[in-house]
Amino acid sequence: MSDLAPLLVALPVFGSVVALLAGLARDRVGWAVAVLTLVVQTAVAGTLMADVLGSEAIRYVVGGFTVPIGIELVVDGLSATIALLVAVVSLGVLAYARRAGPRSNAFYVIYLLLVAGLSGMSITGDIFNMYVFLEITGLTAYALVASGDGGRSAIAGLKYLLVGTVGASLFLLGIGFAYIATGTLNMGDLATQLAEVGYGSPLVLAAFGLLVVGLFVKIAVFPLHTWQPAAYAGAPDSVSAFISALVSTVAAYALIRIVFTVFGTEFLAATPLASTVLAAGAVVSIVVGSLLAVSQSELKRMLAYSSVSQFGLIVGAVAVGNVVALTGAAIHLVGHAIMKGGLFLAVGLVNDVTGARTVDEYAGLAKRSPVGAAAFSVLAVAMVGVPPAVGFVGKWYIALGAVEAGAWPLVVVIFASTLLTLAYFARVVERIYFRDSTETSGLAPTATDGGEDDAPEPVVSVGMRATVVAAAVVAVALGAVAAGYGDLLEPTIEGLLS
Amino acid sequence: MTEIISLRPLLAVLVSAVAVAPILASRGRPNLREAWTILAAVTKFGLVASMVPAVLAGDVYVTDLGAFVPGVNFALEADALGLLFGLLASLLWVVTSFYSMGYMRGLDEDHQTRYFASFAGSVSAAIGIAFAGNLLVLFVFYELLTVATYPLVTHDQTTEARAAGRKYLTYTFGGGVAVLAGTVLVYVLAGTTTFTPGGIADLATTDPTLASAAFGLLILGFGVKAALMPLHSWLPDAMVAPTPVSGLLHAVAVVKSGVFGIARVTLDVFGPDAVADLGLGIALAFVAAATLLISSVIALRQDNLKRRLAFSTVSQLSYIVLGVAVGVSVAPDRAAAYALAGGLLHIPAHAFMKLTLFFCAGAIHVETHTDDISDMAGIGRRMPLTMTAFGVASLGMAGIPLIAGFVSKYFILVGTVSSGQLLFTGALLISGVLNIAYFWPVVYTAFFESPDDGNSKPLLESPFGGDRDVATDGGHEAEHGEHGHGDGWTTAGWRGGESTWLMVAPILFAAAGSVVLGIVPDAAVFLQIVRAVVEGVTGVVL
Repeated sequence: MSDLAPLLVALPVFGSVVALLAGLARDRVGWAVAVLTLVVQTAVAGTLMADVLGSEAIRYVVGGFTVPIGIELVVDGLSATIALLVAVVSLGVLAYARRAGPRSNAFYVIYLLLVAGLSGMSITGDIFNMYVFLEITGLTAYALVASGDGGRSAIAGLKYLLVGTVGASLFLLGIGFAYIATGTLNMGDLATQLAEVGYGSPLVLAAFGLLVVGLFVKIAVFPLHTWQPAAYAGAPDSVSAFISALVSTVAAYALIRIVFTVFGTEFLAATPLASTVLAAGAVVSIVVGSLLAVSQSELKRMLAYSSVSQFGLIVGAVAVGNVVALTGAAIHLVGHAIMKGGLFLAVGLVNDVTGARTVDEYAGLAKRSPVGAAAFSVLAVAMVGVPPAVGFVGKWYIALGAVEAGAWPLVVVIFASTLLTLAYFARVVERIYFRDSTETSGLAPTATDGGEDDAPEPVVSVGMRATVVAAAVVAVALGAVAAGYGDLLEPTIEGLLS
Repeated sequence: MTEIISLRPLLAVLVSAVAVAPILASRGRPNLREAWTILAAVTKFGLVASMVPAVLAGDVYVTDLGAFVPGVNFALEADALGLLFGLLASLLWVVTSFYSMGYMRGLDEDHQTRYFASFAGSVSAAIGIAFAGNLLVLFVFYELLTVATYPLVTHDQTTEARAAGRKYLTYTFGGGVAVLAGTVLVYVLAGTTTFTPGGIADLATTDPTLASAAFGLLILGFGVKAALMPLHSWLPDAMVAPTPVSGLLHAVAVVKSGVFGIARVTLDVFGPDAVADLGLGIALAFVAAATLLISSVIALRQDNLKRRLAFSTVSQLSYIVLGVAVGVSVAPDRAAAYALAGGLLHIPAHAFMKLTLFFCAGAIHVETHTDDISDMAGIGRRMPLTMTAFGVASLGMAGIPLIAGFVSKYFILVGTVSSGQLLFTGALLISGVLNIAYFWPVVYTAFFESPDDGNSKPLLESPFGGDRDVATDGGHEAEHGEHGHGDGWTTAGWRGGESTWLMVAPILFAAAGSVVLGIVPDAAVFLQIVRAVVEGVTGVVL
C-alpha cells in the first residue's frame, strides 16, 4: 500500500491543474473538481491511516533515488492523522464554500494547491522538501487571504506575506546550518548525523534556533503572531475557517517533527535552554493570547487570538516532550482544527444571516440565527474544555504529561487556560442567549428594507448549516473515541521519542 | 459486595438528558412539554429507586463504557453513597417539576422551554455525579452541571442575573479547574481514580506533599459548590434565579454535589486513615465550623427572604462537611461513625427542609410579589398552609425534635462529644441558637404581626451591636405606607385557596418528608442507606 503515499500530494496538484484547464472551457466547474479530488484524497488518507495506525510506518522513496540522497515520504500514525485531518477539513469547508464563496475557479485551483502543500508537509521525510511544501502552503495561503473583496483582505494578505516569508526564510536558514553541519537533508539521517556532530556545536544550536523560530512564526506563537489576527479577520469566511483549522496545525506538526524526529530527546536533554524556550513560548502564548482575545470586539479577531492561546498548549506539550503530552498534542491538534474551523464557519454563517460581526452585535442572536448560535455555543464550550468534548481530552493528556514531567509552572498555566478560554467565550455566549437584541437591524445587509423576515434567506444553504452543525457534533463525539485513538498512536509517539 | 453489571445507572443518568430533545421540540405546546418533564422525572425516580433494595443488601450496580482516557474508564457505579444523593435528587425533581409548572405559569415567565430543558439537563448531570464510578467521571458531570445550570441562573436576563451568571461560571469553573488538577495528581500518584471504599491504596504514602496538594485542590474545587467560606459568594447572588431553581439546584442538587464530592474524596479516594494521617480532616472541620457560624450571623441581617435562605444553606451545608470531616479525622470507632452518619443524613434532611422553605418563598412571591421579610407581616392569614409548612421546616432547621434536622444534628453532636471535639460541639449549639434567631422572626412576622401593627426590627435596621437612636418606637409606622398592603391581607382558608395546588401540594409533600424523616427515621429509606455507607467505611454497625 506504500504507493498510495505520493498520491496525497499528486492528487490535489492534479486536481488543481484540471480545475484550471476546465475553467478555461466553462465557468463554475472548480467546485465539482475540488469535491471529486478531495473525496478521493480523503479515501486515500483514510486508507493510509488504517494501514499505519498501530503498526509500522510506510516509507516511499520518490523517483527511485535512494535515501539519504533521494526524497523520502514517511507515513506514520502521526502524519497519517494530519493528512486525514487536512483532507476531511478541506472537504468540509468545500460544502460550506459552495454557497458562501468565493466562487471563482481560481479560488479552487489555489485551494487544491494549498491542500497539496499541507499534505506534503505532513508526509515528507526530507527537511528541504518540507521547506518547499511550507512555501507552497504559505504562498497559496497568502493568495487565498487576499482573495476577499476589498482592501482589507489585500492588506491582510500582504501582511501575512511579509511576516510569513520571514518565517519561511528563517526556516530555510536553519536547514542551511543543519546541512552545513551534517551534509544531509533526510530527517532520519539528520537525527543520527546531528548526534555525531555533537549537540553542543554552534551550527547545530543555530539550526535548531532558526528552525524553531521560523515555525513559531508559522504557528503564530506570541510575539510572532502578528500576521494572524489580520489574516483571519480579513480573509473570506471559508478561507478563515480553512487556514485557521489547518495552516497553523500543520506548522505545529512540523515543529513536532523537527524537534523530535530531527533533533530528538537527547538534544533536548543536552540543551536545557531549548526546552525552556519552548516552555516560555507556550506560557506566554497561552496567557497573552487569551488576554488579547478578551479585549477584541470583532469575533474573527477574537477567534484568531484564541488560536494563539490554544497553540500555546501544543507548544507546551512539545516542551514537556513525553509520550502522554505528545499524544495530547496530537489529539488537541485534531480537536482544535475541528473546533476552530467550526467556530469560524459558525461566525461566517451568522454574518451571512444577520450581518453581526462584533461581540456586541451578537446580543440576542439565539432568536435571529438559532443554528449558528447553538453551534457556536457548543463549540465554545468544547473549546473551554468541558468534558466529554474533545477539547477536554487533549487538555487532560497534556496536563497529565506535564505533571508526570514535573513541569509545574507549565502545569499551572495549562490548568488556568480553562478559565482564560472561558473569559473570552463566556461573554459571547452570554450575549447570544441572555441579552435581547439591541434592535440594530439596520446593520444587517440582508435586512435592507424594514427587515421583514418573510422572504427566505437565500444566502445560507443547507450545506453551510450542515457543515457547522457537523463540526459541533464531531467536536463532542471525538471526545468519546479520543482515548482509543491515543492508544493506537502510542507506538508512533514512542518511536518518535526513542 | 457483589457487582451487578447493569445498564440501570446509565439509563438513570440518560433519561432526563434524552428528554431534553422532546422538551425542546414541543416548545409550542406547554402542556405536552411539561408532560415530557414529568414523564422523565417519574421514570428517573423509578429507575433509581429500583436499585435501592439490592444496594441496601450490599450490592453495587455498575455500567462500564470502556476507556475514557488511558487508565480511566467511563464507569458509572450505584453504591450506597451514590444512591443516597441519586435517590434524593431524583425524588425531589419529581416534586419540583410540578412546583415549577405552578411557579413559571403563575408568573407567566418567558423562555419556559429553555428553563425546563436546562432543568432536565441539570438533573441528568446531578445523577451522573451521584453514580460516577471514579473521580474523572465525577469531574465530567460536575462540569456539565455547571454548564446546564448556567442558563437557569441567568434566566431572568436582567443585568443583575447576567452578573450573577458570570460570577457563577467563574466560581464554579474555577472550582472545576481545581478538581481537575487534583484528579490529575491523584492519577499520577496512584495510577487510578476509581472510588474504593476506605481509600485508594498507597495514595497518601507515595508522596505525602503531593497527596496533600491533591486533597487541598479537590476540597477547594468541591468546596466552591459546597459554598464553604470564603468560596460561597456565588450562592446568594445566584438567588436571582427562579425559585424552583434556587430550591432544587441551589439547595439540593448543585450544592449537594459539592458536599457529595467532598464526601467521595474523603471516604472513597483518600479514605479516613489517609485523611487522618495527613492531618487534613481537622483543618477541613475548622473551615466548616467557621462557615456555619459566620454565615448564620450574616443570615440574621438579610431582609430578602431568599438571601436569608441562601445564607442558611451556606451554614447548613457546613454541618454536612463538619460531620464528614470529624468522622474521618478521628479514630474509626463509634464516635466517628456517629459524626459521619449525622453529616450524611443531613444531606437528605436539609434537602427536604430547605426545599420546603424555598417553595414557600416562591409561592409567596407568585401570589403576593413579596420578597422582603419586613413586608410579610400578617401573611400567615393570606397563606396559612404555606406559612405553616414554612414554620415546620424552620423548626427542623433549628434542630427541634420530631423534624428531620434534629436527627442528623443529634448524630453529629453525639459524634463530636464522644470523640472529644468539644469545640465543634460548641459551634453546633451556638449555630442552633442562631438558626432560631433568623428563622423565628419570619414565622413571627407572618403569624403574629399585621401590616398595621408590627414590631421594630433592630437587627435589620441598626448596625451590628445595636443603636439606641434608631431602635426606638418609631420607624415602622412611617414605612407601612410603602408596603402597599395597607388594607391587610385577604384571608384565605385552610383548604388551599391561597395558591394553586401545583405549588401547595409540593410544599406540603416536602414538609411532610421533613416530618417523616424526623419522626420515623428508621422507616425512611435514607437513614438505612446512610447506615450502609457508614458500615462500609468504618465497619461500625449503627
